[in-house]
Amino acid sequence: MATERAGTWLPEAGKLELGSCCGPRMLSPERLALTDYEYLAQRHVLTYMEDAVCQLLENKEDISQYGIARFFTEYFNSVCQGTHVLFREFSFIQATPHNRASFLRAFWRCFRTVGKNGDLLTMKEYHCLLQLLCPDFPLELTQKAARIVLMDDAMDCLMSFSDFLFAFQIQFYYSEFLESVAAIYQDLLSGKNPNTVIVPTSSSGQHRQRPALGEASMLEGVEASLFYQCLENLCDRHKYSCPPPALVKEVLSNVQRLTFYGFLVALSKHHGINQALGALPDKGDLMHDPAMDEELERLLAQVPGLVNSVTASSEASCLPSRTPPRVGSPWRPLHHARKVDAESDGSTEETDESET
Amino acid sequence: MDWQVNCGLHLVIQTSSLPEKNKVEFKLHKETPSFPGRLLQHDLERNYSSRQGDHINLVSSSMPSFPILQRSSEEKILYSDRLTLERQKLTVCPIIDGEEHLRLLNFQHNFITRIQNISNLQRLIFLDLYDNQIEEISGLSTLRSLRVLLLGKNRIKKISNLENLKSLDVLDLHGNQISKIENVSHLCDLRVLNLARNLLSHVDNLNGLDSLTELNLRHNQITFVRDVDNLPCLQRLFLSFNNISTFESVCCLADSTSLSDITFDGNPIAQESWYKHTILQNMMQLRQLDMKRITEEERRMASVIAKKEEEKKRESQKQSLLKEKKRLTINNVARKWDLQQHRVTSIAANQDRKDSDSPSQDPGQVDGSTISAFPEETGSLDSALGNALQGLSVTDTHLVEVDGDTLSLYGSGALESLDRNWSVQTAGMVTTVSFTFIEFDEIVQVLPKLKIKFPNSLHLKFKETNLVMLQQFNALAQLRRIDQLTIDPQGNPVVSFTLWKYYVLFRLSHFSMQKINGTEVTQNDMIMAERLFGILAHVASSELPQYRLISILGDARKKQFRYLLETKGKKPGIVSEENNDSKRLVGENTNRATLNYTTRDFYNEKLEEIKEKKKFCKMYIEDLVKEATEINMKNEALQKLWPQMFIELVRDAVIEIRNKSSYMKLCLQQITDQK
Repeated sequence: MATERAGTWLPEAGKLELGSCCGPRMLSPERLALTDYEYLAQRHVLTYMEDAVCQLLENKEDISQYGIARFFTEYFNSVCQGTHVLFREFSFIQATPHNRASFLRAFWRCFRTVGKNGDLLTMKEYHCLLQLLCPDFPLELTQKAARIVLMDDAMDCLMSFSDFLFAFQIQFYYSEFLESVAAIYQDLLSGKNPNTVIVPTSSSGQHRQRPALGEASMLEGVEASLFYQCLENLCDRHKYSCPPPALVKEVLSNVQRLTFYGFLVALSKHHGINQALGALPDKGDLMHDPAMDEELERLLAQVPGLVNSVTASSEASCLPSRTPPRVGSPWRPLHHARKVDAESDGSTEETDESET
Repeated sequence: MDWQVNCGLHLVIQTSSLPEKNKVEFKLHKETPSFPGRLLQHDLERNYSSRQGDHINLVSSSMPSFPILQRSSEEKILYSDRLTLERQKLTVCPIIDGEEHLRLLNFQHNFITRIQNISNLQRLIFLDLYDNQIEEISGLSTLRSLRVLLLGKNRIKKISNLENLKSLDVLDLHGNQISKIENVSHLCDLRVLNLARNLLSHVDNLNGLDSLTELNLRHNQITFVRDVDNLPCLQRLFLSFNNISTFESVCCLADSTSLSDITFDGNPIAQESWYKHTILQNMMQLRQLDMKRITEEERRMASVIAKKEEEKKRESQKQSLLKEKKRLTINNVARKWDLQQHRVTSIAANQDRKDSDSPSQDPGQVDGSTISAFPEETGSLDSALGNALQGLSVTDTHLVEVDGDTLSLYGSGALESLDRNWSVQTAGMVTTVSFTFIEFDEIVQVLPKLKIKFPNSLHLKFKETNLVMLQQFNALAQLRRIDQLTIDPQGNPVVSFTLWKYYVLFRLSHFSMQKINGTEVTQNDMIMAERLFGILAHVASSELPQYRLISILGDARKKQFRYLLETKGKKPGIVSEENNDSKRLVGENTNRATLNYTTRDFYNEKLEEIKEKKKFCKMYIEDLVKEATEINMKNEALQKLWPQMFIELVRDAVIEIRNKSSYMKLCLQQITDQK
């Protein structure tokens, strides 16, 4: 029976992954060579199934009260919406590209107001904000992201929200890819060519030793075209997510030489890559989220009588009233599907109640 | 002749040879208190001038510059034992011939610079050189009988050359430039010593003056007095107009049993409020102070005041001892904390904290060795504790203190004190709780206890508690109420964040806090807090899947429940109250309640648990999926084979029935066979 249930969910979970993954590789012939199991694993379907069961185990007393089917429905719905990563442990948050994108989006949505307020914050403070959403978020990742913004110096400097967010996006979403890139970059710097392609400028390591005079900044780092060759190679065989190679090429085609951090900065500022990643809006629209702004206005209106009014209203919509209707309501998934599009919660709430 | 000295110091010089005029009497009066030295002089002067004419011939001698004195024989007979050379404008001592029997010699008011030419007057008893210009005491070594030596108003800098004057009774050196008392210890018969108006800075070297009854030290610059207790006969001591400012600097006076009259007027000490009763209390033998008789009433008052003073002093000493102890303990706790922090910070790389704390470590180490001196005193101290500091318990590792409405906890060990049975009154009075040198995560664990034991605590203070993350403030939401929060920047890096205040206001909005770090919370602050974090709360409450919401809120409730179970056995009365609280907690602020804080240890424990479950889930899912894919594979294989199988089946059937008659026969045969 369990098999059957898991089976019924496969298509949807699969679809989700197909949608959120970069296109070209899907059709590559090697995919067809995978067994079903390998395929499911590669598409992270297994991750979600495991996590679903794990969550079920975790809260079995509570869940048994309102139905296991109900639970699975909610679980996979929240995976679709990207709300499944809220307050989860880091190991889960970074487990899949979808989770990472969801976390990035959640971070943006929750703390957009901080950016909007114009506050410049330190790396540590951003880290604290991240920890509000994920208690065990590692400091190292935040530091790396800050390094992209601050170019490796003065780590206590203040950063704007958007600078940090886009740098953080690149660092977090592509962290494995960037590690490989860093290794390649080091190899190139020291004169080794990881792809064993012999090129006339392979003496770039010596260039780096030169004192930085006038144009010397041009000679810093590695040659862009060579770098790209290596990266293209890497993208082909890399099993983790990489930025689309075409966009990487675009980034690298503008310059002749570049440093590692220069590359990261360029990546983080490239709106095409941001779009391909799909978690955050364009930089221009970063502070724009009308639905949430509306919600915020509603919350602000309650501030003067904060204690009384909010308590009253939240008590009314509190758990006890919400829970019973959900028990044994098989038609719920449909509503939730709708909910994915319209992210307004309150309205769905009322429809639910009226139907049941 | 005989000398009679009575108590009032009437000095009588009586010679038997002449009936009336030979009797010279001079008094050392005390009626005018400020200038007894002078008075002595005037008395002497008066006596002489009234009785003696100046019938003296000074004849220049053959020797240069020394006049030779000669008296007429009548005069010699008239005043055989005395000679007065007052106001004679003498610049040197004249050679006095044929007067070996002289007993009294007066050179007052001359210009003599040096004592000479009198060494032959070996019977001299009284020598008066008042108001001359003598710079050094000299030329007296042969005058072994000398009893009274008056050298007031000269230019003497040093007391010297008195070695042979063993019978000296009165020595007057007032109005000189003497800066030190010396070379007098052999004067065991000396009864009066006048050193008024000199340059003395202190009093000592008084040993051996066994007969001294009066010592005049007015108008010097004396700051302290020693050795007075070695003067067995001293009755009167005049210390007016000096520089004595503490009783300690003259405390040897208290040990003198003979002293009955003393003056301190014109000293700084006489201005002190405690002056009179301190002196009276310490010198019971005294009969006059500053020329006034001491009454019984005064003495009684003094002893009462002194007793009070003493008590106060002891109390304040105790207080300061306690304070010192407190300081030492806090230092000790701080040192421990630092060590602990260094261990932690080496991981967290919290550089600036280390820097700021390193100087404070040195005194801490010094204290470590001294603190061992205190424990044995604890018992007696605790019993005598006043109201101001009640219930102070000190150990090396932590400190708990209730001071008025403030409960202060230093060191993590102090948290255990919350388990103690606090009196309802004390507990009710406490409105401020301050934590110092305690890991915040440890504090979080006792917050439920704090809520029950100190229900009125409205103000929490944190210092050196390692508050590093905003989410740690979530833990405070479970309290009953907070009006004020004070987070000391020292040891709490979170305070350096620009957003921390707003986050506190946002997360603890249900308390409607009034002050954060001493600053009044305004409406604008509240709005800003909501503006910054309102969406977080909204997302957290509305977008979390139902099962997560229940589990997160459930954790908080479970934690409460666990504590309930722990305390149930002990205090059934409180449980019901606690129940109400937990209900309130849920109702209070649901959209924020999802933002809670689990301490790092607890969180890691949870992660560990999850890991186990994950392992199991992984295996379980793996099995399921394998099973499912296998079934799927078989299904697919079947689907693939089925068309061919079907065709084969049909073909077999067709072949079988192709010859209709033989098939019929076969069938019939089968039927008959069956029967």
